[in-house]
Amino acid sequence: MRKRIIRLSVISLLFFAFSSCNNPPAATADGSGKTDPAQLKGSTLNILCWEGYADPVFTKAFEEKYGVTVKGTYFGSSDELVSKLQNGGGEAYDIISPSSDVAGYIVSNGLVAPLDVKAISQWDSISPPLRNMADVINEGKVYGLPFTWGPDYLIYDADVVKKEPDSWKVFQNPIYKGQVSLWDDISNIYLIGQMDGMDKTNPAALYNMTDDELNQVKAQLIAMKPQIRKYWSTAGELNNMFKNREVALAIGWPLTVASLNKEGRHLRAVIPREGATGWIDRLMITKESKNKALAMLFLDYVSQPETMAKVLAVTNYNVSNPGSERFLTPDLKKIADASQYFDRLNFWQMVKRRKKYNEIWNEVKSAQ
Amino acid sequence: MKAWFRKYILLLPLVIWLLVFLVLPYGYILVQSFFSTDSFGKPVPGFTFDSYKQVFSNSLYIATVFRTLGYAVIVASICVLLSLPLAYFIAFKVRRNKTLLYSLIALPFWVSYIVRAYAWKIILGKEGLLNGFLQWAHITDKPVDYFLYSTFSTLVCLVYILTPFVAIPVYAAFEQIPRSLMEASKDLGAGSFTTFRRIIFPLALPGIISGATFALVLAMGDFLAPLLLGGPKTLFISNVIQNLFGTSNDRPLGSAVGIIILILITGILQLTSRYEKKFSSLKADN
Repeated sequence: MRKRIIRLSVISLLFFAFSSCNNPPAATADGSGKTDPAQLKGSTLNILCWEGYADPVFTKAFEEKYGVTVKGTYFGSSDELVSKLQNGGGEAYDIISPSSDVAGYIVSNGLVAPLDVKAISQWDSISPPLRNMADVINEGKVYGLPFTWGPDYLIYDADVVKKEPDSWKVFQNPIYKGQVSLWDDISNIYLIGQMDGMDKTNPAALYNMTDDELNQVKAQLIAMKPQIRKYWSTAGELNNMFKNREVALAIGWPLTVASLNKEGRHLRAVIPREGATGWIDRLMITKESKNKALAMLFLDYVSQPETMAKVLAVTNYNVSNPGSERFLTPDLKKIADASQYFDRLNFWQMVKRRKKYNEIWNEVKSAQ
Repeated sequence: MKAWFRKYILLLPLVIWLLVFLVLPYGYILVQSFFSTDSFGKPVPGFTFDSYKQVFSNSLYIATVFRTLGYAVIVASICVLLSLPLAYFIAFKVRRNKTLLYSLIALPFWVSYIVRAYAWKIILGKEGLLNGFLQWAHITDKPVDYFLYSTFSTLVCLVYILTPFVAIPVYAAFEQIPRSLMEASKDLGAGSFTTFRRIIFPLALPGIISGATFALVLAMGDFLAPLLLGGPKTLFISNVIQNLFGTSNDRPLGSAVGIIILILITGILQLTSRYEKKFSSLKADN
């Protein structure tokens, strides 16, 4: 009897505990498949994207125009996106924003639907090199609208780091022990490879390392651990760490610098002498989307020069429509001037041994 | 047949529930653990022990399992040490408002886990309340890094989250002890401590073990605390599993690790329930 009371009390407690957990209500999308905008009214467009890609600054006008809701869900790494798509996420999301490392895989595995480029009025204004990239073109059909591109910057807090670092090796400087944050992602393997000059002759070397190379990279990442405060898993988390002065140096995206400096902080971003990796993000429509018509309208809307300018203002990422330039403030124009660093970026490519890369990264994390 | 049916129909909803949401998923995980995958993680049905071989050949998995078990033991022990005096106080020292105090233990459950984990960031950070206080009191002259983004902060959070799971069964166990036994002990000249050590503690041991088991198992399976509050060295096995399912997308390997943990946890539960029975010495219960 006594034990039964104990058991019952604990079990009721368990229910209590779990019922107070956050359960976001599942949003359902019910598109009509027709282009008559009036019929789309009231539906929800679900976007699975990198942070900053569903910001109200530019989605609000779209919502008002069509009387719909745009709901953004963020993913923290390319692997997370692929995993979500493969595990049935395609139905829950209409638009995704894969980067150049997984875009080709997503297309060739039939996870996305071809785009009707004629419905994108600005298609011909999109920067041709981005528009013609082969990885998202399959049998003459286009699967991705080029959206943004940018670097994985070396970000530093100018209040703490007084001199601009000129090398990624600043992460290993004992002065900054416990003040560095790396991304919780396999891209740290590219970072070390780049630090070692592995990609000087062949950019693809970072994405095709041998076991020996991977083990060397692993040893270096483990040796760096005392320098690390925390591996960040979302841009929001990194922002918070800079905000609370938990870290002074990190690898991260322009978005972090943009949002923190808007709050009066002094973050700076550089591409060190070894260069940096970069990414090209495309917008795609999932194969199972029930809102394809609305999704196409969104792609058309987002590729307008004026919208693109707003995207740039929010994220500080370079956008794919050069026409956006005339809507930019002089400060943003400077940021958008890609000529200064486009050539110094090694753009993410598909990693064939992704599982191995992920395991190496987990081994780094588990090392004591 | 009819009588049998009438008797067990009450159980039917639960049986269906367990079948659909427990037995089938576990069965699927077991089956999946023998699959293989392509490089991006699409499971390829088949029958191979590769995932299990990988679990046992790479120290990442087994070492992390046992390190997590170690953390869980620490958390459960601290929870017990905190719960004993608390439950003792409410059970034996408080006369009025007992129910109120008892329900206060459960009060933290009104706030979601994530919010409570975030609260620790505010307390333990470099510019947090604790460091602020220590510097204000001139105990330290610069912020202590180790408070946040470390194994320490992870364990602090888990102890905080899991203590009610121990305190409530311990309290229930204390309440069940017939007061006559304690009075007899005192009449025979034993002091409070001796009474606790020789009467209360042994009689409450089943409750303590069951509470500690809950804390142990829940800590073992936690991944949010290490994710939000852990440092570069804090990695629980659930983080690895979460990564295998959500990032690396190697579901067969994740399933294999899951099955091994399932076996381990089942073993722990068997062991503790045996000890619970062994120490249930108060036979004349009611």
